[in-house]
Amino acid sequence: MSRPSEPVLRCRGITKRFGGVVALRDVTLEVEPKALVGLIGPNGAGKSTLLNVVCGLSRPDSGTVELDGRPVTGLPAHAVARRGVGRVLQIPRLFPSLTVEETVRVGALFGSPDSPGPAQTARRVDEALELVELRDRRTEPVGRLNTQEKRLVDLARALAGQPKLLLVDELMSGLNPVEIQRCTALLRRVREERGAAILWVEHVMDAVLGTVERVVVLDHGAVIAQGPPAQVAKDPAVVEAYLGVDFHAAEVAG
Amino acid sequence: MSVPWTRQAAPVVAVAAVLAAVPLGVGDSPYQMRIATLMLVLACYAVAFNLLFGHTNQLFLCVGALASLGGYLSVILVRDLKLASLAAVGLATVAAAATGGFLSYVSVRRGFGVLFVGIVTLAVSLIVHNLLLGLRDLTNGETGIVTRGLGMGLGDHPLKAYYVLLAVMVASLAAYRWLFGSRHGAALHALSEDEVSAELSGIDVTRYKVACAAGASALVGLVGALYADLNGFISPSVYAVGHVDIPVLVALLLGGMRTLLGPVVGAALFSLVDELVRPFGQLTVLAYGVLLVALFLLFRQGVVPVVQSALGRRVPALRAPSSRTAAKEEVAGGTEAGR
Repeated sequence: MSRPSEPVLRCRGITKRFGGVVALRDVTLEVEPKALVGLIGPNGAGKSTLLNVVCGLSRPDSGTVELDGRPVTGLPAHAVARRGVGRVLQIPRLFPSLTVEETVRVGALFGSPDSPGPAQTARRVDEALELVELRDRRTEPVGRLNTQEKRLVDLARALAGQPKLLLVDELMSGLNPVEIQRCTALLRRVREERGAAILWVEHVMDAVLGTVERVVVLDHGAVIAQGPPAQVAKDPAVVEAYLGVDFHAAEVAG
Repeated sequence: MSVPWTRQAAPVVAVAAVLAAVPLGVGDSPYQMRIATLMLVLACYAVAFNLLFGHTNQLFLCVGALASLGGYLSVILVRDLKLASLAAVGLATVAAAATGGFLSYVSVRRGFGVLFVGIVTLAVSLIVHNLLLGLRDLTNGETGIVTRGLGMGLGDHPLKAYYVLLAVMVASLAAYRWLFGSRHGAALHALSEDEVSAELSGIDVTRYKVACAAGASALVGLVGALYADLNGFISPSVYAVGHVDIPVLVALLLGGMRTLLGPVVGAALFSLVDELVRPFGQLTVLAYGVLLVALFLLFRQGVVPVVQSALGRRVPALRAPSSRTAAKEEVAGGTEAGR
Protein backbone atom coordinates (compact mmCIF):
# COMPACT_ATOMS: atom_id res chain seq x y z
CA MET A 1 0.00 0.00 0.00
CA SER A 2 1.02 3.58 -0.53
CA ARG A 3 2.03 5.82 2.30
CA PRO A 4 -0.84 8.03 3.42
CA SER A 5 0.86 11.18 2.15
CA GLU A 6 1.60 9.73 -1.30
CA PRO A 7 -0.82 11.07 -3.92
CA VAL A 8 -2.63 8.35 -5.87
CA LEU A 9 -2.06 10.32 -9.07
CA ARG A 10 0.77 12.69 -9.84
CA CYS A 11 1.11 14.33 -13.26
CA ARG A 12 4.30 16.31 -13.82
CA GLY A 13 4.87 18.64 -16.76
CA ILE A 14 2.50 16.87 -19.15
CA THR A 15 2.68 18.30 -22.67
CA LYS A 16 0.68 16.87 -25.54
CA ARG A 17 0.59 18.19 -29.11
CA PHE A 18 -1.67 17.22 -31.95
CA GLY A 19 0.17 18.48 -35.02
CA GLY A 20 0.64 22.19 -34.40
CA VAL A 21 -1.97 22.39 -31.65
CA VAL A 22 -0.76 22.21 -28.09
CA ALA A 23 -3.55 20.34 -26.30
CA LEU A 24 -1.76 20.19 -22.94
CA ARG A 25 0.98 22.57 -21.82
CA ASP A 26 3.18 21.58 -18.89
CA VAL A 27 0.29 20.30 -16.79
CA THR A 28 1.17 19.37 -13.23
CA LEU A 29 -1.45 18.10 -10.83
CA GLU A 30 -1.94 15.69 -7.96
CA VAL A 31 -4.90 13.73 -6.66
CA GLU A 32 -4.75 12.56 -3.05
CA PRO A 33 -6.18 9.17 -2.02
CA LYS A 34 -9.96 9.32 -1.64
CA ALA A 35 -10.03 12.90 -2.93
CA LEU A 36 -12.83 14.16 -5.14
CA VAL A 37 -11.23 16.62 -7.54
CA GLY A 38 -13.10 18.56 -10.20
CA LEU A 39 -11.45 19.30 -13.55
CA ILE A 40 -13.12 22.14 -15.40
CA GLY A 41 -12.40 24.43 -18.31
CA PRO A 42 -13.97 25.68 -21.52
CA ASN A 43 -14.52 23.40 -24.51
CA GLY A 44 -11.20 22.39 -26.01
CA ALA A 45 -9.27 23.21 -22.85
CA GLY A 46 -7.71 19.73 -22.86
CA LYS A 47 -9.71 18.05 -20.09
CA SER A 48 -10.49 14.83 -21.94
CA THR A 49 -6.98 14.79 -23.42
CA LEU A 50 -5.56 14.89 -19.90
CA LEU A 51 -7.77 11.97 -18.84
CA ASN A 52 -6.64 10.08 -21.97
CA VAL A 53 -2.99 10.68 -21.09
CA VAL A 54 -3.54 9.49 -17.52
CA CYS A 55 -5.36 6.29 -18.53
CA GLY A 56 -2.91 5.41 -21.29
CA LEU A 57 -5.13 5.95 -24.33
CA SER A 58 -2.82 8.76 -25.36
CA ARG A 59 0.93 9.10 -24.92
CA PRO A 60 2.24 12.48 -23.73
CA ASP A 61 5.01 14.19 -25.71
CA SER A 62 6.73 15.01 -22.43
CA GLY A 63 6.07 14.78 -18.72
CA THR A 64 5.37 11.87 -16.42
CA VAL A 65 2.33 10.19 -14.92
CA GLU A 66 2.72 8.34 -11.62
CA LEU A 67 0.26 6.12 -9.80
CA ASP A 68 1.06 5.64 -6.11
CA GLY A 69 4.52 6.96 -6.85
CA ARG A 70 5.20 4.46 -9.66
CA PRO A 71 5.62 5.73 -13.22
CA VAL A 72 3.01 4.58 -15.75
CA THR A 73 3.84 7.06 -18.51
CA GLY A 74 3.45 5.49 -21.93
CA LEU A 75 2.03 2.20 -20.66
CA PRO A 76 -0.84 0.85 -22.77
CA ALA A 77 -4.35 1.52 -21.46
CA HIS A 78 -5.01 -2.08 -20.37
CA ALA A 79 -1.90 -2.06 -18.18
CA VAL A 80 -2.88 1.25 -16.58
CA ALA A 81 -6.40 -0.09 -16.01
CA ARG A 82 -4.96 -3.11 -14.19
CA ARG A 83 -2.93 -0.82 -11.96
CA GLY A 84 -6.15 0.59 -10.61
CA VAL A 85 -7.36 3.30 -12.95
CA GLY A 86 -11.01 3.21 -14.01
CA ARG A 87 -12.02 5.40 -16.93
CA VAL A 88 -15.62 6.34 -17.64
CA LEU A 89 -16.08 7.74 -21.13
CA GLN A 90 -18.11 10.82 -21.95
CA ILE A 91 -19.90 8.96 -24.72
CA PRO A 92 -20.08 5.39 -23.46
CA ARG A 93 -19.07 2.82 -26.06
CA LEU A 94 -19.33 -0.39 -24.06
CA PHE A 95 -20.21 -3.73 -25.66
CA PRO A 96 -23.66 -3.32 -27.25
CA SER A 97 -24.76 -6.95 -27.46
CA LEU A 98 -23.49 -7.94 -24.01
CA THR A 99 -25.91 -7.65 -21.13
CA VAL A 100 -25.45 -5.18 -18.28
CA GLU A 101 -24.17 -7.94 -16.03
CA GLU A 102 -21.78 -9.39 -18.64
CA THR A 103 -20.37 -5.92 -19.29
CA VAL A 104 -19.70 -5.30 -15.62
CA ARG A 105 -18.19 -8.77 -15.31
CA VAL A 106 -15.64 -7.86 -18.00
CA GLY A 107 -14.51 -5.03 -15.72
CA ALA A 108 -14.37 -7.37 -12.73
CA LEU A 109 -12.44 -10.08 -14.59
CA PHE A 110 -9.79 -7.94 -16.24
CA GLY A 111 -9.73 -4.58 -14.48
CA SER A 112 -7.85 -5.49 -11.32
CA PRO A 113 -4.29 -6.67 -10.71
CA ASP A 114 -5.47 -9.81 -8.89
CA SER A 115 -7.21 -12.51 -10.90
CA PRO A 116 -10.46 -12.85 -8.97
CA GLY A 117 -12.08 -16.27 -8.70
CA PRO A 118 -15.67 -16.91 -9.81
CA ALA A 119 -17.22 -16.13 -6.40
CA GLN A 120 -15.21 -12.97 -5.95
CA THR A 121 -15.99 -11.86 -9.50
CA ALA A 122 -19.71 -12.37 -8.90
CA ARG A 123 -19.52 -10.39 -5.67
CA ARG A 124 -17.70 -7.49 -7.33
CA VAL A 125 -20.28 -7.43 -10.11
CA ASP A 126 -23.11 -7.38 -7.57
CA GLU A 127 -21.52 -4.60 -5.55
CA ALA A 128 -20.94 -2.42 -8.59
CA LEU A 129 -24.49 -2.95 -9.90
CA GLU A 130 -25.88 -2.24 -6.45
CA LEU A 131 -23.98 1.02 -6.23
CA VAL A 132 -25.28 2.37 -9.56
CA GLU A 133 -28.75 0.93 -8.85
CA LEU A 134 -28.95 -1.19 -11.99
CA ARG A 135 -29.39 -4.59 -10.37
CA ASP A 136 -32.85 -5.10 -11.81
CA ARG A 137 -31.59 -4.35 -15.35
CA ARG A 138 -28.75 -6.84 -15.26
CA THR A 139 -30.03 -9.17 -17.98
CA GLU A 140 -30.74 -6.43 -20.51
CA PRO A 141 -28.41 -5.91 -23.47
CA VAL A 142 -26.49 -2.67 -23.01
CA GLY A 143 -27.42 -1.55 -26.53
CA ARG A 144 -31.01 -1.11 -25.40
CA LEU A 145 -30.28 1.29 -22.53
CA ASN A 146 -30.46 5.08 -22.77
CA THR A 147 -27.33 7.22 -22.67
CA GLN A 148 -27.46 7.92 -18.96
CA GLU A 149 -27.98 4.26 -18.11
CA LYS A 150 -25.05 3.41 -20.37
CA ARG A 151 -22.87 5.88 -18.49
CA LEU A 152 -23.86 4.19 -15.23
CA VAL A 153 -23.06 0.77 -16.68
CA ASP A 154 -19.70 2.12 -17.79
CA LEU A 155 -19.18 3.44 -14.26
CA ALA A 156 -20.13 0.06 -12.80
CA ARG A 157 -17.77 -1.67 -15.23
CA ALA A 158 -14.95 0.58 -14.05
CA LEU A 159 -15.89 0.12 -10.36
CA ALA A 160 -15.93 -3.67 -10.70
CA GLY A 161 -12.18 -3.48 -11.41
CA GLN A 162 -11.67 -2.08 -7.87
CA PRO A 163 -10.02 1.17 -9.02
CA LYS A 164 -7.95 3.39 -6.76
CA LEU A 165 -8.53 6.25 -9.14
CA LEU A 166 -11.65 6.86 -11.16
CA LEU A 167 -11.55 9.18 -14.18
CA VAL A 168 -15.06 10.40 -14.84
CA ASP A 169 -15.79 12.35 -18.02
CA GLU A 170 -19.04 14.33 -18.10
CA LEU A 171 -21.35 12.01 -16.27
CA MET A 172 -24.16 14.56 -16.12
CA SER A 173 -24.61 16.40 -19.39
CA GLY A 174 -28.24 16.45 -20.42
CA LEU A 175 -29.60 15.53 -16.99
CA ASN A 176 -32.34 17.35 -15.08
CA PRO A 177 -31.61 18.79 -11.61
CA VAL A 178 -33.04 15.79 -9.76
CA GLU A 179 -30.94 13.37 -11.78
CA ILE A 180 -27.89 15.56 -11.27
CA GLN A 181 -28.43 15.43 -7.54
CA ARG A 182 -28.67 11.65 -7.63
CA CYS A 183 -25.52 11.52 -9.69
CA THR A 184 -23.46 13.69 -7.34
CA ALA A 185 -24.72 11.60 -4.42
CA LEU A 186 -23.55 8.53 -6.34
CA LEU A 187 -20.05 9.94 -6.81
CA ARG A 188 -19.85 10.76 -3.10
CA ARG A 189 -20.92 7.21 -2.26
CA VAL A 190 -18.31 5.80 -4.66
CA ARG A 191 -15.67 7.77 -2.83
CA GLU A 192 -16.87 6.90 0.64
CA GLU A 193 -17.87 3.26 0.20
CA ARG A 194 -15.22 2.22 -2.31
CA GLY A 195 -12.42 4.49 -1.17
CA ALA A 196 -11.61 5.52 -4.73
CA ALA A 197 -10.14 8.91 -5.58
CA ILE A 198 -12.08 10.63 -8.35
CA LEU A 199 -10.86 13.04 -11.00
CA TRP A 200 -14.04 14.40 -12.45
CA VAL A 201 -14.49 16.40 -15.65
CA GLU A 202 -17.84 18.11 -15.79
CA HIS A 203 -19.60 20.96 -17.53
CA VAL A 204 -22.42 21.23 -15.03
CA MET A 205 -20.76 23.87 -12.85
CA ASP A 206 -23.20 23.81 -9.95
CA ALA A 207 -22.74 20.11 -9.52
CA VAL A 208 -18.93 20.31 -9.57
CA LEU A 209 -18.47 23.36 -7.38
CA GLY A 210 -21.01 22.11 -4.87
CA THR A 211 -19.55 18.61 -4.59
CA VAL A 212 -15.76 18.63 -4.82
CA GLU A 213 -13.28 19.83 -2.24
CA ARG A 214 -10.76 20.91 -4.83
CA VAL A 215 -11.08 22.05 -8.42
CA VAL A 216 -8.46 22.33 -11.17
CA VAL A 217 -9.09 24.77 -14.02
CA LEU A 218 -7.62 24.13 -17.47
CA ASP A 219 -7.56 26.73 -20.21
CA HIS A 220 -5.85 26.31 -23.58
CA GLY A 221 -4.16 23.21 -22.20
CA ALA A 222 -2.62 24.89 -19.15
CA VAL A 223 -3.60 24.81 -15.49
CA ILE A 224 -4.62 28.38 -14.68
CA ALA A 225 -5.93 27.85 -11.16
CA GLN A 226 -6.58 25.19 -8.55
CA GLY A 227 -7.92 25.14 -5.03
CA PRO A 228 -11.18 25.03 -3.11
CA PRO A 229 -14.20 25.80 -5.33
CA ALA A 230 -15.15 29.02 -3.56
CA GLN A 231 -11.64 30.41 -3.97
CA VAL A 232 -11.24 29.29 -7.59
CA ALA A 233 -14.59 30.74 -8.62
CA LYS A 234 -13.36 34.16 -7.49
CA ASP A 235 -9.93 33.85 -9.10
CA PRO A 236 -9.62 36.70 -11.63
CA ALA A 237 -7.82 34.51 -14.19
CA VAL A 238 -10.60 31.93 -14.01
CA VAL A 239 -13.33 34.52 -14.22
CA GLU A 240 -11.69 36.03 -17.26
CA ALA A 241 -10.64 32.88 -19.09
CA TYR A 242 -13.52 30.59 -18.43
CA LEU A 243 -16.40 31.89 -16.44
CA GLY A 244 -16.25 35.39 -17.91
CA VAL A 245 -18.91 37.96 -17.30
CA ASP A 246 -21.49 35.26 -17.93
CA PHE A 247 -20.47 33.23 -14.90
CA HIS A 248 -23.80 33.87 -13.27
CA ALA A 249 -25.65 33.03 -16.47
CA ALA A 250 -23.61 29.84 -16.87
CA GLU A 251 -24.43 28.88 -13.34
CA VAL A 252 -28.12 29.37 -13.92
CA ALA A 253 -28.04 27.59 -17.28
CA GLY A 254 -25.96 24.73 -15.82
CA MET B 1 -17.57 -20.48 -16.82
CA SER B 2 -19.75 -22.42 -14.46
CA VAL B 3 -20.80 -24.78 -17.25
CA PRO B 4 -19.45 -28.28 -16.55
CA TRP B 5 -16.89 -29.39 -19.09
CA THR B 6 -18.96 -32.40 -20.12
CA ARG B 7 -21.70 -30.10 -21.31
CA GLN B 8 -19.20 -27.81 -22.97
CA ALA B 9 -17.72 -30.74 -24.84
CA ALA B 10 -21.12 -32.17 -25.84
CA PRO B 11 -21.61 -30.31 -29.16
CA VAL B 12 -18.03 -31.06 -30.21
CA VAL B 13 -18.47 -34.73 -29.40
CA ALA B 14 -21.81 -34.79 -31.25
CA VAL B 15 -20.29 -33.31 -34.40
CA ALA B 16 -17.32 -35.65 -34.19
CA ALA B 17 -19.62 -38.67 -33.87
CA VAL B 18 -21.83 -37.65 -36.78
CA LEU B 19 -18.95 -36.87 -39.10
CA ALA B 20 -17.02 -39.97 -38.04
CA ALA B 21 -19.97 -42.03 -39.29
CA VAL B 22 -19.98 -40.44 -42.75
CA PRO B 23 -17.57 -42.99 -44.32
CA LEU B 24 -20.00 -45.75 -43.26
CA GLY B 25 -22.38 -44.31 -45.82
CA VAL B 26 -20.12 -43.11 -48.60
CA GLY B 27 -16.86 -44.90 -47.86
CA ASP B 28 -17.14 -47.01 -51.02
CA SER B 29 -17.24 -44.02 -53.30
CA PRO B 30 -13.85 -42.32 -53.70
CA TYR B 31 -15.63 -39.38 -55.27
CA GLN B 32 -17.97 -38.83 -52.33
CA MET B 33 -15.15 -39.40 -49.87
CA ARG B 34 -13.22 -36.66 -51.62
CA ILE B 35 -16.18 -34.28 -51.38
CA ALA B 36 -16.51 -35.06 -47.66
CA THR B 37 -12.79 -34.55 -47.07
CA LEU B 38 -12.76 -31.25 -48.95
CA MET B 39 -15.74 -30.20 -46.84
CA LEU B 40 -13.59 -30.78 -43.73
CA VAL B 41 -10.77 -28.74 -45.28
CA LEU B 42 -13.18 -25.87 -45.89
CA ALA B 43 -14.62 -26.23 -42.37
CA CYS B 44 -11.13 -25.96 -40.83
CA TYR B 45 -10.39 -22.83 -42.82
CA ALA B 46 -13.75 -21.41 -41.73
CA VAL B 47 -13.07 -22.18 -38.05
CA ALA B 48 -9.83 -20.21 -38.38
CA PHE B 49 -11.51 -17.38 -40.26
CA ASN B 50 -14.27 -17.24 -37.64
CA LEU B 51 -11.67 -16.57 -34.96
CA LEU B 52 -9.95 -13.98 -37.16
CA PHE B 53 -12.88 -12.09 -38.58
CA GLY B 54 -15.80 -13.06 -36.35
CA HIS B 55 -14.11 -12.66 -33.00
CA THR B 56 -11.15 -10.32 -33.41
CA ASN B 57 -12.28 -8.08 -36.31
CA GLN B 58 -9.35 -9.15 -38.48
CA LEU B 59 -10.51 -9.48 -42.08
CA PHE B 60 -7.70 -11.75 -43.24
CA LEU B 61 -8.30 -12.20 -46.98
CA CYS B 62 -5.17 -14.32 -47.21
CA VAL B 63 -6.45 -17.68 -45.95
CA GLY B 64 -5.54 -19.24 -49.31
CA ALA B 65 -2.12 -17.60 -49.24
CA LEU B 66 -1.40 -18.91 -45.73
CA ALA B 67 -2.64 -22.35 -46.80
CA SER B 68 -0.35 -22.22 -49.85
CA LEU B 69 2.54 -21.31 -47.56
CA GLY B 70 1.78 -24.45 -45.56
CA GLY B 71 1.32 -26.57 -48.68
CA TYR B 72 4.28 -25.43 -50.74
CA LEU B 73 6.69 -25.17 -47.81
CA SER B 74 5.92 -28.67 -46.54
CA VAL B 75 6.25 -30.17 -50.03
CA ILE B 76 9.46 -28.31 -50.88
CA LEU B 77 11.04 -29.19 -47.52
CA VAL B 78 10.46 -32.88 -48.21
CA ARG B 79 11.43 -32.72 -51.90
CA ASP B 80 14.58 -30.59 -51.63
CA LEU B 81 15.76 -31.05 -48.05
CA LYS B 82 14.55 -34.64 -47.62
CA LEU B 83 12.86 -33.76 -44.36
CA ALA B 84 10.50 -36.27 -42.75
CA SER B 85 6.99 -35.37 -43.87
CA LEU B 86 5.67 -34.85 -40.34
CA ALA B 87 8.53 -32.49 -39.52
CA ALA B 88 7.92 -30.62 -42.77
CA VAL B 89 4.23 -30.22 -41.97
CA GLY B 90 5.15 -29.00 -38.49
CA LEU B 91 7.61 -26.44 -39.82
CA ALA B 92 5.11 -25.26 -42.44
CA THR B 93 2.50 -24.82 -39.69
CA VAL B 94 4.89 -22.76 -37.61
CA ALA B 95 5.81 -20.63 -40.63
CA ALA B 96 2.15 -19.92 -41.37
CA ALA B 97 1.54 -19.04 -37.70
CA ALA B 98 4.49 -16.66 -37.68
CA THR B 99 3.34 -15.02 -40.92
CA GLY B 100 -0.24 -14.56 -39.70
CA GLY B 101 0.94 -13.30 -36.30
CA PHE B 102 3.28 -10.83 -37.99
CA LEU B 103 0.54 -9.51 -40.30
CA SER B 104 -1.72 -9.10 -37.28
CA TYR B 105 0.94 -7.37 -35.20
CA VAL B 106 1.71 -4.86 -37.95
CA SER B 107 -2.01 -4.21 -38.49
CA VAL B 108 -2.69 -3.64 -34.81
CA ARG B 109 0.39 -1.49 -34.28
CA ARG B 110 -0.37 0.68 -37.29
CA GLY B 111 -4.01 0.94 -36.23
CA PHE B 112 -5.41 -0.49 -39.49
CA GLY B 113 -9.21 -0.60 -39.60
CA VAL B 114 -11.10 -3.77 -40.55
CA LEU B 115 -11.39 -2.88 -44.24
CA PHE B 116 -7.79 -1.76 -44.49
CA VAL B 117 -6.64 -5.07 -43.06
CA GLY B 118 -8.79 -6.68 -45.76
CA ILE B 119 -7.11 -4.67 -48.49
CA VAL B 120 -3.59 -5.26 -47.17
CA THR B 121 -4.10 -9.01 -46.76
CA LEU B 122 -5.71 -9.23 -50.21
CA ALA B 123 -2.58 -7.57 -51.56
CA VAL B 124 -0.51 -10.15 -49.66
CA SER B 125 -2.58 -12.87 -51.35
CA LEU B 126 -1.85 -11.44 -54.80
CA ILE B 127 1.85 -11.14 -53.98
CA VAL B 128 2.03 -14.73 -52.77
CA HIS B 129 0.11 -15.92 -55.84
CA ASN B 130 2.55 -14.15 -58.15
CA LEU B 131 5.55 -15.41 -56.19
CA LEU B 132 4.29 -18.97 -56.59
CA LEU B 133 3.88 -18.36 -60.32
CA GLY B 134 7.21 -16.62 -60.68
CA LEU B 135 9.58 -18.74 -58.59
CA ARG B 136 9.54 -21.49 -61.20
CA ASP B 137 12.67 -23.26 -60.01
CA LEU B 138 11.06 -23.85 -56.66
CA THR B 139 7.36 -24.11 -57.47
CA ASN B 140 7.15 -25.16 -61.16
CA GLY B 141 5.00 -22.04 -61.69
CA GLU B 142 1.58 -22.62 -63.22
CA THR B 143 2.31 -26.30 -63.79
CA GLY B 144 2.37 -26.99 -60.06
CA ILE B 145 3.94 -29.86 -58.16
CA VAL B 146 2.82 -33.48 -58.02
CA THR B 147 2.95 -34.22 -54.32
CA ARG B 148 2.58 -37.99 -54.44
CA GLY B 149 5.42 -39.54 -52.46
CA LEU B 150 6.27 -36.23 -50.78
CA GLY B 151 3.86 -36.53 -47.86
CA MET B 152 2.22 -39.04 -45.58
CA GLY B 153 0.41 -40.70 -48.45
CA LEU B 154 -2.99 -39.25 -47.63
CA GLY B 155 -3.68 -39.02 -51.38
CA ASP B 156 -3.63 -42.81 -51.68
CA HIS B 157 -5.77 -43.48 -48.63
CA PRO B 158 -9.04 -41.53 -48.79
CA LEU B 159 -10.26 -42.93 -45.47
CA LYS B 160 -7.05 -42.00 -43.69
CA ALA B 161 -7.18 -38.53 -45.23
CA TYR B 162 -10.76 -38.08 -44.08
CA TYR B 163 -10.06 -39.10 -40.50
CA VAL B 164 -6.88 -37.05 -40.23
CA LEU B 165 -8.78 -33.96 -41.38
CA LEU B 166 -11.65 -34.83 -39.07
CA ALA B 167 -9.24 -35.12 -36.14
CA VAL B 168 -7.78 -31.71 -36.95
CA MET B 169 -11.22 -30.14 -37.26
CA VAL B 170 -12.53 -31.67 -34.04
CA ALA B 171 -9.37 -30.57 -32.24
CA SER B 172 -9.86 -27.03 -33.53
CA LEU B 173 -13.51 -27.04 -32.39
CA ALA B 174 -12.46 -28.34 -28.98
CA ALA B 175 -9.83 -25.61 -28.72
CA TYR B 176 -12.45 -23.03 -29.70
CA ARG B 177 -14.84 -24.40 -27.11
CA TRP B 178 -12.19 -24.36 -24.43
CA LEU B 179 -11.21 -20.81 -25.34
CA PHE B 180 -14.76 -19.54 -25.04
CA GLY B 181 -15.41 -21.47 -21.86
CA SER B 182 -12.45 -19.74 -20.22
CA ARG B 183 -12.07 -16.11 -19.18
CA HIS B 184 -10.42 -15.49 -22.55
CA GLY B 185 -13.85 -15.97 -24.09
CA ALA B 186 -15.18 -12.99 -22.16
CA ALA B 187 -12.19 -10.93 -23.33
CA LEU B 188 -12.79 -11.91 -26.95
CA HIS B 189 -16.52 -11.17 -26.72
CA ALA B 190 -15.69 -7.76 -25.30
CA LEU B 191 -13.00 -6.81 -27.80
CA SER B 192 -15.04 -7.94 -30.78
CA GLU B 193 -17.70 -5.44 -29.69
CA ASP B 194 -15.47 -2.51 -28.84
CA GLU B 195 -11.69 -2.51 -28.67
CA VAL B 196 -11.33 0.79 -26.78
CA SER B 197 -13.76 -0.25 -24.06
CA ALA B 198 -12.03 -3.62 -23.86
CA GLU B 199 -8.64 -1.95 -23.47
CA LEU B 200 -10.03 0.38 -20.78
CA SER B 201 -11.38 -2.69 -18.98
CA GLY B 202 -7.87 -4.10 -18.68
CA ILE B 203 -7.89 -6.41 -21.71
CA ASP B 204 -4.65 -6.56 -23.72
CA VAL B 205 -6.30 -6.21 -27.12
CA THR B 206 -3.04 -6.41 -29.07
CA ARG B 207 -2.00 -9.66 -27.43
CA TYR B 208 -5.38 -11.29 -28.00
CA LYS B 209 -5.53 -10.26 -31.66
CA VAL B 210 -1.99 -11.37 -32.44
CA ALA B 211 -2.39 -14.65 -30.53
CA CYS B 212 -5.68 -15.42 -32.31
CA ALA B 213 -4.16 -14.56 -35.69
CA ALA B 214 -1.16 -16.80 -35.02
CA GLY B 215 -3.35 -19.67 -33.82
CA ALA B 216 -5.79 -19.39 -36.71
CA SER B 217 -2.92 -19.11 -39.21
CA ALA B 218 -1.32 -22.22 -37.73
CA LEU B 219 -4.55 -24.13 -38.36
CA VAL B 220 -4.73 -22.78 -41.92
CA GLY B 221 -1.08 -23.65 -42.60
CA LEU B 222 -1.50 -27.15 -41.19
CA VAL B 223 -4.62 -27.84 -43.24
CA GLY B 224 -2.98 -26.31 -46.32
CA ALA B 225 -0.12 -28.77 -45.92
CA LEU B 226 -2.47 -31.73 -45.38
CA TYR B 227 -4.44 -30.64 -48.43
CA ALA B 228 -1.25 -30.68 -50.54
CA ASP B 229 -0.77 -34.28 -49.43
CA LEU B 230 -4.29 -35.57 -49.91
CA ASN B 231 -4.87 -33.75 -53.19
CA GLY B 232 -1.79 -35.29 -54.82
CA PHE B 233 -1.06 -32.06 -56.63
CA ILE B 234 -0.71 -28.36 -55.87
CA SER B 235 -0.59 -25.28 -58.05
CA PRO B 236 -1.05 -21.57 -57.38
CA SER B 237 -4.67 -21.76 -58.51
CA VAL B 238 -5.79 -24.41 -55.98
CA TYR B 239 -4.92 -21.91 -53.23
CA ALA B 240 -6.15 -18.80 -55.07
CA VAL B 241 -8.45 -16.28 -53.44
CA GLY B 242 -11.38 -17.44 -55.56
CA HIS B 243 -10.78 -21.06 -54.59
CA VAL B 244 -10.19 -20.63 -50.87
CA ASP B 245 -11.01 -17.21 -49.42
CA ILE B 246 -14.34 -16.66 -51.17
CA PRO B 247 -15.73 -20.11 -50.26
CA VAL B 248 -14.49 -19.61 -46.68
CA LEU B 249 -16.16 -16.23 -46.41
CA VAL B 250 -19.42 -17.53 -47.88
CA ALA B 251 -19.39 -20.68 -45.73
CA LEU B 252 -18.84 -18.72 -42.53
CA LEU B 253 -21.51 -16.15 -43.31
CA LEU B 254 -23.93 -18.91 -44.28
CA GLY B 255 -23.29 -20.98 -41.18
CA GLY B 256 -23.12 -18.08 -38.77
CA MET B 257 -20.22 -16.04 -37.49
CA ARG B 258 -19.20 -16.20 -33.84
CA THR B 259 -20.74 -19.61 -33.33
CA LEU B 260 -19.05 -22.92 -32.63
CA LEU B 261 -20.83 -24.85 -35.35
CA GLY B 262 -21.39 -22.09 -37.90
CA PRO B 263 -18.16 -22.87 -39.79
CA VAL B 264 -18.99 -26.60 -39.96
CA VAL B 265 -22.64 -26.14 -40.95
CA GLY B 266 -21.62 -23.47 -43.46
CA ALA B 267 -18.92 -25.66 -44.99
CA ALA B 268 -21.38 -28.56 -45.26
CA LEU B 269 -24.00 -26.36 -46.92
CA PHE B 270 -21.44 -24.86 -49.26
CA SER B 271 -20.21 -28.30 -50.34
CA LEU B 272 -23.79 -29.46 -50.81
CA VAL B 273 -24.69 -26.45 -52.94
CA ASP B 274 -21.51 -26.92 -54.91
CA GLU B 275 -22.56 -30.48 -55.73
CA LEU B 276 -26.18 -29.56 -56.47
CA VAL B 277 -25.25 -27.00 -59.08
CA ARG B 278 -22.65 -29.17 -60.78
CA PRO B 279 -25.12 -30.74 -63.27
CA PHE B 280 -26.07 -27.30 -64.57
CA GLY B 281 -22.82 -27.17 -66.52
CA GLN B 282 -22.49 -23.75 -68.06
CA LEU B 283 -25.30 -22.47 -65.88
CA THR B 284 -23.46 -23.51 -62.71
CA VAL B 285 -22.38 -20.02 -61.79
CA LEU B 286 -25.87 -18.64 -62.32
CA ALA B 287 -27.56 -21.39 -60.30
CA TYR B 288 -24.93 -20.94 -57.66
CA GLY B 289 -25.55 -17.21 -57.45
CA VAL B 290 -29.32 -17.60 -57.21
CA LEU B 291 -29.00 -20.17 -54.45
CA LEU B 292 -26.60 -18.01 -52.51
CA VAL B 293 -28.80 -14.93 -52.80
CA ALA B 294 -31.77 -16.97 -51.59
CA LEU B 295 -29.80 -18.35 -48.67
CA PHE B 296 -28.55 -14.91 -47.69
CA LEU B 297 -32.06 -13.48 -47.83
CA LEU B 298 -33.45 -16.25 -45.65
CA PHE B 299 -30.53 -16.67 -43.26
CA ARG B 300 -28.92 -13.30 -43.03
CA GLN B 301 -27.29 -13.98 -39.66
CA GLY B 302 -26.33 -17.46 -40.72
CA VAL B 303 -28.08 -20.77 -40.34
CA VAL B 304 -26.90 -21.67 -36.84
CA PRO B 305 -28.19 -18.53 -35.07
CA VAL B 306 -31.53 -18.79 -36.91
CA VAL B 307 -31.95 -22.41 -35.90
CA GLN B 308 -30.88 -21.60 -32.36
CA SER B 309 -33.45 -18.87 -31.94
CA ALA B 310 -36.16 -21.01 -33.57
CA LEU B 311 -35.40 -23.81 -31.14
CA GLY B 312 -35.12 -21.27 -28.34
CA ARG B 313 -38.69 -20.12 -28.92
CA ARG B 314 -39.94 -23.61 -28.37
CA VAL B 315 -37.58 -24.47 -25.54
CA PRO B 316 -37.58 -21.57 -23.07
CA ALA B 317 -34.41 -22.80 -21.37
CA LEU B 318 -32.47 -22.04 -24.54
CA ARG B 319 -33.72 -18.53 -24.95
CA ALA B 320 -31.40 -16.27 -22.96
CA PRO B 321 -28.61 -15.18 -25.30
CA SER B 322 -26.05 -14.83 -22.51
CA SER B 323 -22.69 -16.49 -22.79
CA ARG B 324 -23.46 -18.79 -19.88
CA THR B 325 -26.26 -20.48 -21.80
CA ALA B 326 -24.21 -20.55 -24.99
CA ALA B 327 -23.31 -24.17 -24.39
CA LYS B 328 -26.96 -25.19 -24.47
CA GLU B 329 -27.52 -23.21 -27.62
CA GLU B 330 -24.58 -24.87 -29.26
CA VAL B 331 -26.14 -28.23 -28.42
CA ALA B 332 -29.24 -27.03 -30.23
CA GLY B 333 -26.99 -26.12 -33.13
CA GLY B 334 -25.49 -29.60 -32.96
CA THR B 335 -28.73 -31.24 -33.97
CA GLU B 336 -28.70 -29.08 -37.07
CA ALA B 337 -25.20 -30.17 -37.96
CA GLY B 338 -26.27 -33.75 -37.48
CA ARG B 339 -28.88 -33.62 -40.18
